[in-house]
Amino acid sequence: MKFTIYQESRVGKRRNNQDRLAHCYSRDALLMVVADGMGGHLHGEVAAQIAVQYMTEVFQREAKPRLADPFMFLAQGLAKAHQAVQDYSIGRRLPEAESPRTTCVACVVQDSVAYWAHAGDSRLYVLRGGRVQAKTRDHSTVQAMIDEGKLTPDQAVNHPLRNRVYSCLGGQQAPHIDYSRKTTLQEGDAVILCSDGVWAPLDDLLLAKSLQEVDVMHAVPPLLEEAERLAGPNCDNLSVVAMRWGENYGDTDLGGPSTVETETMAFDSHSTQMPEFGQRRAPLPELTDEDIESAIDEIRAAIRKNSN
Amino acid sequence: MPPSQANQPLPPGYQLENYRIERQLSAGGFSIVYLAYDEADTPVAIKEYLPNSLALRTEGNILPTIPEEHRSTFRHGMKCFFEEGRALAHLSHINVVRVLNFFRANETVYMVMQYERGRTLQEHIHKHKGEIKEAFIRKVFARLLNGLREVHTHKLLHLDIKPANIYLRIDGNPVLLDFGAARQALENEVQNLKPMYTPGYAAPEQYKAPDQLGPWTDIYAVGASMYACLGGTVPQPAIDRLENDRFVPAAKQWAGKYSKQLLDTIDWCLDLDYVERPLSVFQLQKVLSEQHHVVNEDTWIDSLSQRLRGLVKK
Repeated sequence: MKFTIYQESRVGKRRNNQDRLAHCYSRDALLMVVADGMGGHLHGEVAAQIAVQYMTEVFQREAKPRLADPFMFLAQGLAKAHQAVQDYSIGRRLPEAESPRTTCVACVVQDSVAYWAHAGDSRLYVLRGGRVQAKTRDHSTVQAMIDEGKLTPDQAVNHPLRNRVYSCLGGQQAPHIDYSRKTTLQEGDAVILCSDGVWAPLDDLLLAKSLQEVDVMHAVPPLLEEAERLAGPNCDNLSVVAMRWGENYGDTDLGGPSTVETETMAFDSHSTQMPEFGQRRAPLPELTDEDIESAIDEIRAAIRKNSN
Repeated sequence: MPPSQANQPLPPGYQLENYRIERQLSAGGFSIVYLAYDEADTPVAIKEYLPNSLALRTEGNILPTIPEEHRSTFRHGMKCFFEEGRALAHLSHINVVRVLNFFRANETVYMVMQYERGRTLQEHIHKHKGEIKEAFIRKVFARLLNGLREVHTHKLLHLDIKPANIYLRIDGNPVLLDFGAARQALENEVQNLKPMYTPGYAAPEQYKAPDQLGPWTDIYAVGASMYACLGGTVPQPAIDRLENDRFVPAAKQWAGKYSKQLLDTIDWCLDLDYVERPLSVFQLQKVLSEQHHVVNEDTWIDSLSQRLRGLVKK
């Protein structure tokens, strides 16, 4: 296998990053996962962490170096991840309303074929030639309303229910998981897994265009910056795993230090990239005397303006 | 000593910049409000930022003690106070309290507001328990919603609407007070300073899903405040309703006493699921005023027909 891959997670304007992501590969199989812990639920980031960790651990156990059945792997992995999140809340006697939950999208590539599955509103895109070749359908209330013709996609953008999902890992209900078709990847295809913090502010077309023929590691950071800019002061956590498939590329075409060449890997070895677990809080910037004075000046100016 | 240390207010007569402190009006976990007089002897309300959990003013002192480990959080908490000041400074509406000045002193910050004479809706409810007229409720809340609309237009949420924060001026015009819990749909940034919500008036999402706050959150509180006008009782707290909903719909409890339309509207505001509530103040206002005419007509026709009947009897 040959591909370039890049992943990045940003806290946005939130205090915690409840997103988790990872990718992991053996000689013959690649796994990518993004999970977005539910903000309304305590321990959301724990749920996301459990899901991502569980998937990568199972992958490392089973991809030696191939997965016997990628769909079966996804089905069992997600079902068990769901149970693991549930066990966590049962173990801590958390009431239903506070139980940790997470969305999850996971993709396996093996023999140049992509297989993916998801629960919730974290998405996967297959981009080809500057267009969206395939994408997941969100398990969200607004998507359901769009499907029923009650809402246009434009109206969904600022809809109060835009964050509500009806399927997730954790929680009392068994998750509704959708599976993709087997999708054969062509050289140059990009596979993007991302949380809603990334896709919500961006247009699909912009996403497709900006990843067209640009190295993922150069394309993704400006894309995240654009998403952060558009999202403004409420910017959600943003997470992306972006992979460009290069099976048939010549070395010189794809090149660069980020290209992964798995041919030489040992049968039972794995490479995993997963950020460490922990309270990932954006540090509070110091509020200086100048900040305080300028806030007061601004307020006083507004008072003067309004009293005239 | 009370179990949790409470901050001492500034002493009466204390000269705070151009203002002379008269007495403490109220104190919350986040601030103290004083009645004071300016140089022209005009009464003003001054709010002092002084979160109990982070700063302590002991008897006989003016400067609060702020432990080193809380210094940064204390300063960040000021941001909420600034948000309140900034929002109010940009708002100029007869139904929203007016901010007159803002300054820094005594290692903290102060907001000077217009002092309103009159009484709170809370006091009014207390006095007239069970005999508040529909017309009064409609009039007060229709006007109050004008102010709240202005607040929401500025992308601000009040988040602590309750009869105690609704002031009735002598002319009967209501004023929305105390934006201490208000947030510009921002930050969960300063977690030690989570405002305390008032049980009964706070919407379920304030407890359970702070990322889902919106105009509908204030609408829940408006519904609860109207509900309180009906019988003088507060609806069951939302957090308990989520566990075991024993809320008696207004339409059931006061059927016949108030128009069904008003009671249904109140129940509508008090839906636990925010999606089911009126999504904007405008929508609620429309409903409150639309039917108003019909109710007037009804009473007019009723009284006319009563008079006619009276005539027939004669």
